Amino acid sequence: MEDLGLKIFGAILTTILGFTVGMTYGGIVRKLTARVQNRYGPPFYQNFLDLLKLQVKKTNIAHGFMGHMAPVWIIIAAVTVLLFIPILNGNLWFPNMSFHGDLIFLLYMMVFGSLGMALGAGQSGNPNSAIGVSRGLSQMVGFEIPFVLSLVALMIQYETTSVQELTQIQHETGVWNAISNPFAFLAALFASLGMFRYSPFDIVGAPAELASGPVSEFGGKYLGTMMSGGAIFAFIKLTLYVHLFLGGAGNPDNTGIIATLLGLGVLLIKTFTLYMVPVFYGWINPRYRTEQAIQYFWRWPTALGIIGVIWAVYS
Amino acid sequence: MVITPIHYIVVPLIAAFAIPLLSKIHKELFRIVPGIVMFYNIIISFVLMKEVNEVGYISEIIAGWEAPWGINLMITPFSGFLASLISVLGFLIWLYQYRFKKVIDVDEIKSYGILQMMMITGAIGIIITGDIFNLFVFMEIVAITAVSLTSFYRGRDGAEAGFKYLLIGGFASALILLAILILYTQVGTLNMAEIAEKMHTIPLGIKSTILILFIVGFGIEAEMFPLNGWAPDAYSQAPGPTSAAFAGIVVKAGIYGLIRVIYTLFDIEGAFDFLIIAGLVTMIIAEFSAVKQKNLKRMLAYSSIGQMGLVLIAFGIGTKTAVFAALFLMFNHAIIKSLLFMTGSILMYNSKDKTISSIHGIAKNLPFVSIMFAIGAFAIVGLPPFSGFWSKLYVLTAAADKEMIMLIIAILGVSIVEIVYYFRVVNKLYFATDIEHLDIFKPSNNSLIAMGILTITIIVIGFYPDLITGYLHNAADILLDRSSYIDFVLKANVPIQ
Amino acid sequence: MNIFFLIILIFFSGAILSFIINRIAPKFSGITTFVTIAVVSFLFFTQVEINSITQFSLGGIQMQFGVNNYTYIFAILVLGLSLLASLFSIKYMQDNDRLGYFYSNFILSIAGMVGIIFSRDFISFFIFWEIMTWSSYLIVIYDGARSSRSGLKYMIFSAIGAYAMLTAIVSIKGSYGTFIISEAIENGAFNFTDHIYIPIMLLVGFAVKAALMPLHVWAPNAYSKSPMSFTAIFSGAMSKMGILGMGLVLASVYSHSTDENAFNVLILRQILGWLGGITAVMATIYALIQTDAKKLLAYSSVAQLGYIIVGLSTGTKLGVMAALFLAIIHAVFKGALFMVAGAVERQVGTTDMTKISGLIRKMPFTFFTALVSIIALAGIPPLGGFVGKWMLYEALITESNNYFLVIVIFFSSTAAFMYSYRFLFGLFLGQEEKEIEHVKEAPVTMIIPMVILALILIVTGVYPGILFEPIAQGMQYLGYSDVNWDMSVLVNVWGEESNMAYINLTIGVVFVVIFIFLTLKNLKGTRYVGTKDISTSGEIPTENENLTFQLDFFKPFQRAAAPLYKRSMDKIWNDLGNALEAIFDFTRRIYTGNGQTYALFVIIFLVILLIFKNTLFTN
Repeated sequence: MEDLGLKIFGAILTTILGFTVGMTYGGIVRKLTARVQNRYGPPFYQNFLDLLKLQVKKTNIAHGFMGHMAPVWIIIAAVTVLLFIPILNGNLWFPNMSFHGDLIFLLYMMVFGSLGMALGAGQSGNPNSAIGVSRGLSQMVGFEIPFVLSLVALMIQYETTSVQELTQIQHETGVWNAISNPFAFLAALFASLGMFRYSPFDIVGAPAELASGPVSEFGGKYLGTMMSGGAIFAFIKLTLYVHLFLGGAGNPDNTGIIATLLGLGVLLIKTFTLYMVPVFYGWINPRYRTEQAIQYFWRWPTALGIIGVIWAVYS
Repeated sequence: MVITPIHYIVVPLIAAFAIPLLSKIHKELFRIVPGIVMFYNIIISFVLMKEVNEVGYISEIIAGWEAPWGINLMITPFSGFLASLISVLGFLIWLYQYRFKKVIDVDEIKSYGILQMMMITGAIGIIITGDIFNLFVFMEIVAITAVSLTSFYRGRDGAEAGFKYLLIGGFASALILLAILILYTQVGTLNMAEIAEKMHTIPLGIKSTILILFIVGFGIEAEMFPLNGWAPDAYSQAPGPTSAAFAGIVVKAGIYGLIRVIYTLFDIEGAFDFLIIAGLVTMIIAEFSAVKQKNLKRMLAYSSIGQMGLVLIAFGIGTKTAVFAALFLMFNHAIIKSLLFMTGSILMYNSKDKTISSIHGIAKNLPFVSIMFAIGAFAIVGLPPFSGFWSKLYVLTAAADKEMIMLIIAILGVSIVEIVYYFRVVNKLYFATDIEHLDIFKPSNNSLIAMGILTITIIVIGFYPDLITGYLHNAADILLDRSSYIDFVLKANVPIQ
Repeated sequence: MNIFFLIILIFFSGAILSFIINRIAPKFSGITTFVTIAVVSFLFFTQVEINSITQFSLGGIQMQFGVNNYTYIFAILVLGLSLLASLFSIKYMQDNDRLGYFYSNFILSIAGMVGIIFSRDFISFFIFWEIMTWSSYLIVIYDGARSSRSGLKYMIFSAIGAYAMLTAIVSIKGSYGTFIISEAIENGAFNFTDHIYIPIMLLVGFAVKAALMPLHVWAPNAYSKSPMSFTAIFSGAMSKMGILGMGLVLASVYSHSTDENAFNVLILRQILGWLGGITAVMATIYALIQTDAKKLLAYSSVAQLGYIIVGLSTGTKLGVMAALFLAIIHAVFKGALFMVAGAVERQVGTTDMTKISGLIRKMPFTFFTALVSIIALAGIPPLGGFVGKWMLYEALITESNNYFLVIVIFFSSTAAFMYSYRFLFGLFLGQEEKEIEHVKEAPVTMIIPMVILALILIVTGVYPGILFEPIAQGMQYLGYSDVNWDMSVLVNVWGEESNMAYINLTIGVVFVVIFIFLTLKNLKGTRYVGTKDISTSGEIPTENENLTFQLDFFKPFQRAAAPLYKRSMDKIWNDLGNALEAIFDFTRRIYTGNGQTYALFVIIFLVILLIFKNTLFTN
């Protein structure tokens, strides 16, 4: 029972961590982007303020059952995936359940939330939402190819499909997968550009235009919930990348308080650095049309992914 | 009265002469008497088949002259089977056409019934005779009646088709006669058993010449390519029942002639391979040609030719299974193609210009005829559980036993073509709705009964082929057993002098 | 009476009976069908003993009936799905004419499938195969002139397949002397060294039914043109007969080939796997540009069958297990989805997604079924569809050394999200237009089978072991030893696992917590509005303004993937067909209709024979 209680506590802790980090990163990026564009920009905690405002709104508009369900789905998917990836390698504070679900499961589970959002957006009946969903799904087909190629490369290189295993291997050998299979890492990095939907791949949400993209019909608490889910997802993706390619964080042999905090620090540094890649790339690029975005992913990133797989087979 | 094979010949002949006289009593007798004769044929067949299954051979000597000097009639399980098949079909065709031509005046019907009857008699004669010249005579009877029946409708097309048939049929007669002549100069006998016995004495060059003459002669009747030019015209211009009779009866006689010559008379290398090749070419070209036909009866005619090609292939393979399969094919072809011609000609009767496109959607008006046509089509392309499947299966099995994989592929490839054109018609029959059919000619009840019997036979044999496989196995055994045929005719039956 | 004969007899008499009853009372035709199938199912699951054999002989050929563990899997699938589909069919087909025709063929096609399952020899197998084929063909053309071309296409391809199969069957008889399947396997008909064409021909035959590229072109039309209650079976169960055959042949080849890693076996695996992969991709990208929901589902079926064939081609334990699991799950969700399409068709009158949208409020149960089935189809956890997908990927990654095939499959199943969403959005979401105001939920006899199928998907997501048990036994029959399975834990050969119960528990707990929390929190302030009340940047849409976005839904993707759309197998086959027609037309001209020409033919033939007589005939 104690174990279960610990796990529940850990789950809540993990969720709060993911939420906070994700929100903060988003705020920092807003600030940085503004500075780059020679604006003053909002404070880094602006996202929290936005969320608070949304949550205290008195009326919320929903277009039906799926509209009500969509944020729930996103949160479910986000929390579930968060619980199934390792936050700190081998650390008891974070109830990593990845022994019960491997990479393939995570890949598919991550889609679960998107599907919920797409359905909710669909029910609103706003054509802009549907267009956004159509673009989002199309773009997903684009970046999933290099992403999966890189994952397959990792899986066959180390003959495991578990994230935990992959982290552990990096921990034991001391060599990051980004170095042992650079091509796979590059392919995954390119894929991450699409995943985070910063410019030039931001046509899905089209943030520059008013009220378009899948979320255009959501407001109030619904939008707030979706924002939280999105923040957690950002953290999930970063953490996953860190554990897959950048050596992970945390020391399984030492799970003391200090070591844990140290691990968290490492995790934050690595994730933030990684996060800057799509953000930087976005600053210097205009927006792609959907088909251009898809074709972009199907050229060099895919080629790199293929080389990565071949590399994995012959190494 | 004891029933003997001669009844097959004599009764129809007497009837043929008697009909004009009898018709003075009552006009209806024109139509009825041939039917009675046909029915009597069935009785003969039953009695003889029962007997022949016990004793193996029945031989009847005509006019007291023993074989090999006189003419003898032979009933073996093989010829008996074919004779019974023809008898039954003959009766069904009569049943089908009885009152079919009611609209046409009696004068023509007079000749029609007699001609039809004589054609069937000729065909049976070909099969049961043991004398090669006698066979030629019967062949002539068939040819003459068939030509007259082809041009039965007095129109330009009928006359043209009849003329073509006459022309090509003339070749057939001439060549067979020539072959018989040469044969007679070599062996000095016309009895088939004795010819077979003395065949090895003929030098190869002459032997093969005779065989070629026979092949071409009988090949014309058996619709072998490229000798079958007459067939599509004749089939499509002849009255419906006659087309059915052509497919079910006349062709069978031609095939019988070919097979009897090759299997019994000659013992020559290469004849079997020749049959396979000829059959294959016939089948492929005919089935390919059938696809693009616009006239339903012409399409059926080409399909019929194609089926005959398959029969030739089966006979060409020459093993026991193959001969069995060939006989099964002949049986199936007889019942199925007759059914198709019967139903097809009713469908055609309702079309303005005899084309397939003018009977679109007629199934609504003629449900029974259409469903029987559809079943016939299903059966002829060899879909289980209809009878056509089994014969095709046995042919393929026989080919597979000899590892003739390309032959199997060819046969099945052609079957796909068959499916294409038959199903196209069935599709249109049921589901095209672009034409309204107003003035519908409904088939008479007796036609429906005749077609119904055939349909039921197709289904029953399809579910339970064992009903006839026994007979077919016997027939195949006998056909392959060349020496016992000779022995029986020449030794056992001839009193020791 | 022997139970096997009794079942076949009941089927045939049921077919005749439903035809006759239609003449008297058309209403009862469908009920007769349902009762027939129910009786047979009852008899089958209570009376039939696995591995019992009945011998008999027909037409001089030894035949055997029996059920083994492997075919039992398919028996569950066929009978279960047919039962539900026939229940669905009663109301769905209610107002149509020629019901007798429809239902008798409906029963006959199921009889064909059950017969295939019973057959232990190739001849009865082939007979039932053909019965199944032509009866389904007759149903495809049920709709009349509109579908007759599709029907003919289906029949031609089926004939190609069936005759390829027949060639192999008679060759087995010719070379190995038996028609009994197990004896043929023992005698080495599938050793893949001599008579290599036998398994290949058989595979071609089965591949047609399993809609494998390049023999799939009949499928999209045939599936979408038949009445939906039949398509549920057609796509769900009948295509699995192809899988049944392929599984049997491949397993025999793998276990009886002289060397399992022989070069030609490897080639066979690669070719099959890639064909399956390409089928999946091509069908998927064609599915997502369809505007008719039925056609979309039809293409999707072809794609899903591609996955199954990929699984079979691996030949490993996990791969085959994945294939068989997917086969069953596909039957369930595609059966449900075609029923959904049928329900929409009946209630609205069309399944054209550009004409209808926003049915979610009108048809909530149908939407529930559609949602659950689509989640399963897309392979999203935690439903049964995910289990199959997971095993397939793991099998490919861990065991097959065929890594690029993984990518192809992954591409296809990611693109599958697109058409999955398209289906849900097109029918159920989006603007509620005036045209659908009158629409009501489908009758209860149509809802029940759909919801049952949806529940099966949920249960198999938590406890896939329910299906693993028969599958494992079937695989042991096929020659795989020690097939491990667990009620809800999936394991690959590297030892990694996916614990479905655990995953579901987690999702469930999170769901309950969050759903209750959010609902309670949002309950007060939430205002539900119609689909016209949307934010359009200040412009208020007028009553008649069309806000539906349905046409060219995935245009950007289409543009991006334009090269993939260029080549179409249909076109190649059409060209081939035209070429053949030209040949037919040419041969037709040999018969000029001129008597003199014919006479000339005779003479030339005679002369040629006489010239070559010495080469033709020898002593």
